Amino acid sequence: MKKEDVNQKGISRRSVLKGAAAVGAMASLGGLAMNLASPGSAGAAVRQLPKKWDEAIDVVVVGSGFAGLAAAAEAAGEGSKVVILEKMPTYGGNSIINGGAWNSWDDKFHLRKKLNLGDDSWELFKQDTLKGGDFYNYPELVEVMVKSAPEATNLLMDEGVKVRETLPRMGGHSAYRTFMAAEGVGRGITEPMKRVAEKRGAKIRLGTQVSWIWRKDADSPVLGVEVTKDKKKSNIRIKRALILASGGFSRDVKMRMVFNPSLGPEYNCTNQPGATGEMIRYAQAIGADAIQLAFIQLYPCAEPETGMLDTPAVYPYTGTGYGLIYVNKAGKRFVSELERRDVVSMAQIKSGSKPTYSILNDEVFKKLVVPKEELEKGIAKGRIIKADTLAELAGKLGIPADALQETVGRHNKLLGEGKDLDFNKPLTKNMIPLVNGPFYGIAQWPSIHHCMGGLRINTSAQVIDIWGNPIPRLYAAGEVCGGVQGSNRLGGNATTDCVVFGRIAGTNAGKEKSL
Amino acid sequence: MKKSLLTLVALAALMALLCLYIGGGSVEAAKPAAKVSKTSCAACHPELSAVVPKGHPPVKGSDIAACLGCHKPDASGKADKNKVSTGLHRAHVGEGGKLDCMSCHTWKPGKSFGLQGQKVSFGSPTKDELEVMKKVFASWKSSGYTDSLHNKANIVCGGCHGSAMAKEGDTVENSRCLECHGPMEKLAKKSEPQDFPDRNPHKSHLGEIACTVCHKGHAESKTYCLECHKLFKMKKIPGGSASQ
Repeated sequence: MKKEDVNQKGISRRSVLKGAAAVGAMASLGGLAMNLASPGSAGAAVRQLPKKWDEAIDVVVVGSGFAGLAAAAEAAGEGSKVVILEKMPTYGGNSIINGGAWNSWDDKFHLRKKLNLGDDSWELFKQDTLKGGDFYNYPELVEVMVKSAPEATNLLMDEGVKVRETLPRMGGHSAYRTFMAAEGVGRGITEPMKRVAEKRGAKIRLGTQVSWIWRKDADSPVLGVEVTKDKKKSNIRIKRALILASGGFSRDVKMRMVFNPSLGPEYNCTNQPGATGEMIRYAQAIGADAIQLAFIQLYPCAEPETGMLDTPAVYPYTGTGYGLIYVNKAGKRFVSELERRDVVSMAQIKSGSKPTYSILNDEVFKKLVVPKEELEKGIAKGRIIKADTLAELAGKLGIPADALQETVGRHNKLLGEGKDLDFNKPLTKNMIPLVNGPFYGIAQWPSIHHCMGGLRINTSAQVIDIWGNPIPRLYAAGEVCGGVQGSNRLGGNATTDCVVFGRIAGTNAGKEKSL
Repeated sequence: MKKSLLTLVALAALMALLCLYIGGGSVEAAKPAAKVSKTSCAACHPELSAVVPKGHPPVKGSDIAACLGCHKPDASGKADKNKVSTGLHRAHVGEGGKLDCMSCHTWKPGKSFGLQGQKVSFGSPTKDELEVMKKVFASWKSSGYTDSLHNKANIVCGGCHGSAMAKEGDTVENSRCLECHGPMEKLAKKSEPQDFPDRNPHKSHLGEIACTVCHKGHAESKTYCLECHKLFKMKKIPGGSASQ
């Protein structure tokens, strides 16, 4: 830790934080210091460290999604006693309900080569991620993520995650690199990860909310956490480290509007109800820096009415590299289907009518290796509309038949010519012309999905304070962090980010010397 | 002398009134009997045989011991029906129940909680814990929540909570629920919606979750699925609100 820069500027870091914890000393200097404890709470001005701790735990992980489970498994693997605190009554956060997709430029079975889907490298993956994030990403964090992606992929496979024999190319990616869990949903990944973490001794406590982080002053390590369970508070002393893996704040309308006032309550959200971001505030209250919080992403293809990312809402995003197209209610294309999420979302909103549709055929579903049963369920629920001809499909979707036929015909022709003259989509030979029926339509609309911004971390997953120094014994991984995804996350990058940085946080936390 | 006599008469009248009050309207008016202690059933039920179920052999005695001779106290915490304990508690606790726990139980705060004339101890509740328990018993008696549904099925605390006296914040593990309600497949069959069979709370994409996520013992039960899937048509959850 370097303290010089702080002292040179004549700012005492202690003066900000001291009041929160060490009131006694300050009082003798006359009056209380500014205090960051939540205003209005009893004793906010004299928030003192617990006089006694109710228990002591080596490594405490907050959150039980991909990042939390990965961190817990690694820390427990280092021999630490690990407890995961999950405020919701069920484990898994957004991870257990996500689309079950993650990115890697290689894996031990070399699936991309096996499926003959062209080239890829960590350099290309890095470049795409940086470009997709408008270069707001911290390049050193991106480099860690992309370089570790194959190792993370192999680990997930070793832990029992099964994948489909497909490798979609999604918006913003210039290669086919998205692995899909066989289950078609994140549970296919969280369940094996949870098994591994628990096998190594990590314990998950559900319905247990962290309500404060204890730190003595701006030089002190994190000492513990206050937890609230069934309205009762208790204090856990942390012997090695605290890992924040608590996700984003998409579900907290107030918080997201602070950073982006345009994202009001009229927007739907794909997230689980617990994604409310309070851990970011608790970390800030003990000096943590939080960055780029205004970058909040819409998922372009959610179910239009409820905003959920259900199984049929995954295909419109994974199918793009295999020739699926988007049309508006007039039956016209309105964007390059391989554009980034923010671009596709805004293009939809500007397309003039809600919803828009993905158009695909059986061959695309086959490329995605969607099980027959899964497809039939989506059709039965009315989420996927099936028709033998394009004219029939147009009728069912309520869009002009001639316009849809013309649009599909033109796209087919452009595929043949190898150049998208209309929207400049990078065309590949893996994109299927929509010639043969049956055809399918899926309604879609943007829904708030992911917070790119969050706590500032370094490549060791240490949380950085507002003076630029790591906060001792505080780590963070996953959506709670900022800087990895830049202004716009590419599809499939969240899981990779969570697993890679979760593992780094867990390994480093487990190696901290016990206090 | 006269004064003390007056005091005595006044006291006697007060006692009579008190007994009437304790008896309430539903039990026979008590006759002020000389040897009746405050823990005696006879204070309100001069004829115990009159308050036991039809066909029950005549009851000898005037306190809880009269029952416990045959109905051995069960502190095993089996997930079983217990008609006697349920019946006694149902009649005497909670809203409308006028009796103190100590009419039948013995209690040393923080040390033991047993039954009069018995060596058994069920736990060691503190004063606060006993107050909570009284509230929970009131809920169990008539709340309409899961607890009162178990009351109707002759299940008292131990049926769910086991042998240790339940404390605030205690939960009930799935395995316990499934002893009576399982296996899960059976429950899944019961809760299968008519429109789409895979929108089933007992067989959901969250995998195996705690029963208590939806089924609250002493509060309103709510189908957790509906937190996100607002448009799903789920079957009504027992112990939930009328609107769900």
